Amino acid sequence: MRNPEYESLISKWLENKLTTEESLRFDQLCLEDEIFAQRVANASRFTLAADQFEQLPLPEWNKEATFFETNAQPRWWQRQWMPMASMAMSVVAMVMVLSGFQVQMTDGKMTLGFDRGPDEKEINQLVAKRLDEYKESNQLLLTQYMDAMAKQQQENGAQLTQYLLSSSRQERREDFAELVKFINQQRTDDQRFYARQINDLEQEIEAIGSTYSGLSRPLETSHE
Amino acid sequence: MFERRDEQLVSKALKGDRKAWFALIKRYEQPIYQYGIRMTGNTHDAADLMQDIFVSVFKSLANYRHEGAFKGWLFKIAHYRCMEFYRRKRPQQSLDECPEQESEEEAPETGILSNESSKQVLSAMQKLPIAQKAVVELKFFHHFTFEEIAQQLGLSSNTVKSRLYSALSRLKLDLEVENA
Repeated sequence: MRNPEYESLISKWLENKLTTEESLRFDQLCLEDEIFAQRVANASRFTLAADQFEQLPLPEWNKEATFFETNAQPRWWQRQWMPMASMAMSVVAMVMVLSGFQVQMTDGKMTLGFDRGPDEKEINQLVAKRLDEYKESNQLLLTQYMDAMAKQQQENGAQLTQYLLSSSRQERREDFAELVKFINQQRTDDQRFYARQINDLEQEIEAIGSTYSGLSRPLETSHE
Repeated sequence: MFERRDEQLVSKALKGDRKAWFALIKRYEQPIYQYGIRMTGNTHDAADLMQDIFVSVFKSLANYRHEGAFKGWLFKIAHYRCMEFYRRKRPQQSLDECPEQESEEEAPETGILSNESSKQVLSAMQKLPIAQKAVVELKFFHHFTFEEIAQQLGLSSNTVKSRLYSALSRLKLDLEVENA
């Protein structure tokens, strides 16, 4: 059966923490309560027995097996400051990139600074430089364009000349052909004219011949 | 001769100092072995338990926060390892309430002790439930305060006092019989 008062008194007695009042109550219970007294007596006896408990010799045991090298000091690159240092360096690098950190080497002097953008003079120089570049590129383009135009014009002239030459030559040939044709036509017409006249003449001669047939033998003529 | 404090030895052992670790073992192997004998009732189990405790302590050294004495922290681990030992031995038995079963096989090795009083103490302790036995061990043999014992066992101070009170009633009967 639990008795908090008894438990508390014995506990305090075991640790020598009894107050005067508690000591009186403790003594009273030891005299009046047999069960409490027996427990106190037993605690005393056990305390004494514990202090005199026989210490058995230690057996041989494997102490080495309790030590692991995993607890050894890590090497310098494995220590905990390495990740922190890495992270710090990364942050510094990011800040340098974002803030436009610049390192300039001029005449053997190194200048560290942050990029705050070009000043007015630099802007003017930059604009002038860009304009010059623009002009040069335009000039070059124009020259190239003019060259191309001249070349094309030259080619066109040559083609036109060639065309004119060839066309006039053909026209002349056609004209001569027409002329020859005309002459031939004329000659054909002339031949027909002459043939008709000859026929007419033949007919006249024949007529004359028949007139004189009675008089003499007919005149023999042949026409091819 | 100047002796290093436990905390200094722990710090050195954490840095891989074998000497410091073995100095700690040398300082506490005897109390831990005696603790094992009284908690298990025989020397073989006590030796196994001692090995187990020191392996566990070494593995947990980094978790030692230097809050309170190293000895208290050591016995806290010893208690957990001892409970684990009992769980392995009797998985079906509750560690809090059921008393130790008495049998020929389980009888403590009192023969290894030459002192009669020590034999009686060992025998009487083996008849206590483990929970009470742990409180008796820490209070009477290692002189921890109730607060320290409560901290080591993860209990309230009142529970510890109650367990000791109950243990005293059982020890009383056993010791009376043994002394008869």
